[in-house]
Amino acid sequence: MRRLSYAFLALISVVSLLPFYLMMTMSTYYTEDLFKGLPLWPSDFLRENLATVFRSNFAQVYLNSLTVSVAAVASCLLISAMIGYAIAKFRFRLRSALHFFMMITMMVPTQVGLIGYVIEMKALGMGNTLLPVILIWTAFPFGAFFMTQFIKDTVSQELLESARLDGCSEPGIFFRVVLPLVKPGLSTLAMLVFLWSWNSYLLPLVVINNQKWYTLPLFISNLGIVHRTDYAAMMTALCMAVVPLLVIFILASKTFIKGITAGSVKG
Amino acid sequence: MKAINKWPYFFALPFVLTYLAFHLYPTMYSLVLSFYEWNGIGDKAFVGLQNYVRLLTDDPLFFKSLYNTFVIMIMSIPATLLLGVTVAYLTFNAAKGRLLLQTVNFLPYITTPVAIGFIFSFMFDWQTGFVNEMFIRLGLLDEGVYWLQEPWSAKAVIALMIMWKHLGYFMIIYLAGMTAISQDIYEAAKIDGAGPLQLFAKITVPLLRNITVFLVVTSIISGLQLFDEPKLLYGGWSGSTQIGGPDNAALTVIWKFVDESFISNSNFGYSAAIAYLLFVIIILFSIVSYRLTAGKEESR
Repeated sequence: MRRLSYAFLALISVVSLLPFYLMMTMSTYYTEDLFKGLPLWPSDFLRENLATVFRSNFAQVYLNSLTVSVAAVASCLLISAMIGYAIAKFRFRLRSALHFFMMITMMVPTQVGLIGYVIEMKALGMGNTLLPVILIWTAFPFGAFFMTQFIKDTVSQELLESARLDGCSEPGIFFRVVLPLVKPGLSTLAMLVFLWSWNSYLLPLVVINNQKWYTLPLFISNLGIVHRTDYAAMMTALCMAVVPLLVIFILASKTFIKGITAGSVKG
Repeated sequence: MKAINKWPYFFALPFVLTYLAFHLYPTMYSLVLSFYEWNGIGDKAFVGLQNYVRLLTDDPLFFKSLYNTFVIMIMSIPATLLLGVTVAYLTFNAAKGRLLLQTVNFLPYITTPVAIGFIFSFMFDWQTGFVNEMFIRLGLLDEGVYWLQEPWSAKAVIALMIMWKHLGYFMIIYLAGMTAISQDIYEAAKIDGAGPLQLFAKITVPLLRNITVFLVVTSIISGLQLFDEPKLLYGGWSGSTQIGGPDNAALTVIWKFVDESFISNSNFGYSAAIAYLLFVIIILFSIVSYRLTAGKEESR
């Protein structure tokens, strides 16, 4: 029984890893050789594939993706923590109304307003920048909800009161007392937002028209159509888009898993 | 001291303002647009409910996309649940390597859909694909199967992509739930002579009901918005920009919506109506699921 269960788990894990493995081995082949057999073992064409990828504006695209994700994480974290602090730690008249508002916003899928959003961005003259794919993360209902719960659970009211008695200003309390206390929550949310904005495909697809501002998913999905279909080079580009994320995740998997499960098991 | 404290409002303001500007306004604007006929350039023409009427009475492709979306969900969600809870249970009882197993199986979930689309379209390609090649070498098939060209196998491949992607997520959520179950219950059942299969079926699965409901609800909500996987499966690898896969067998509602507004056409009013109709369907499913959970708490 025990051996059978290990064998089953091993099989599942192999299936989970196989596509990644194929992606990596394929990036070391000469495209035309890919079709001569199973690319199970690495070949020796990686250097040339890398050269092909960097001959395009891949570096620019990579920078675009990094800019979007970093800006998205920064603005989402700040705004979410701020409203989280307000709802979790203050008693004020509109508190329950705000809480209700936040819960409702979580239920509305972004796609419903997609057309309106694209038209709005064009009207505001941001159609030809990276801003539309960043601004969508400013008010992120899940982030607000997540931070509210986290601040409620970790920041004690006494600590805030004593900081107030010491004459600390409210922004000072927020930046110097609250934020350091909720660092684990912030890092989980940061990882999630980074991941989701990095992988996002639909919004960039409809809102970015200029190749100069392509993000990685958009760039790679268009590679096959624009250039000679160099599959191996595409796989190389994919590896470079995916592998850094995998490494970050593996290094931080404990915190990450804890964060992902926190919301669901409670609710 | 009793004066109105302005600080909570100050802290809540950025969220409220950016939500109004970048979410609520576009959502309302889309609602208004759904009552107009507009191609984005010319004049808007008010048509009342005509877009909705046309969708529900005169657009077989809309129903086909809805049907496809549901078929893919039915193919993927129950299987992922079953596999997820099984893998979680086995991992939970494994002596070693729990974190390793979680990490390895979670990797697909964090991978960009573009990569998943490309890898799967390579693996299931008729001519050069890994899957056909394997089956032929193992002697299970005489010649390759047209996985991506047949309506049913196309849907099955998309369901498989979703399963592959979400299995690790389901497993981790279930594992967290299992950790929360008190070991005393298991000990008591073991004393009463329950075997491992009975423990699983009679204790673990029933006690994880809340988590299963959560997973089903969130999967249905995100499943109704399926777009990335089918689009990217047919998106670029073969160089084709075909819409909806073979005979529209892989066309989902959101794909139809995006195609109608930004790819093939620019019928903004009509596609806004598609988005709102889908929204109504999502709300209906949310209410049904809410009832499911609430009903359970009453019966306790």
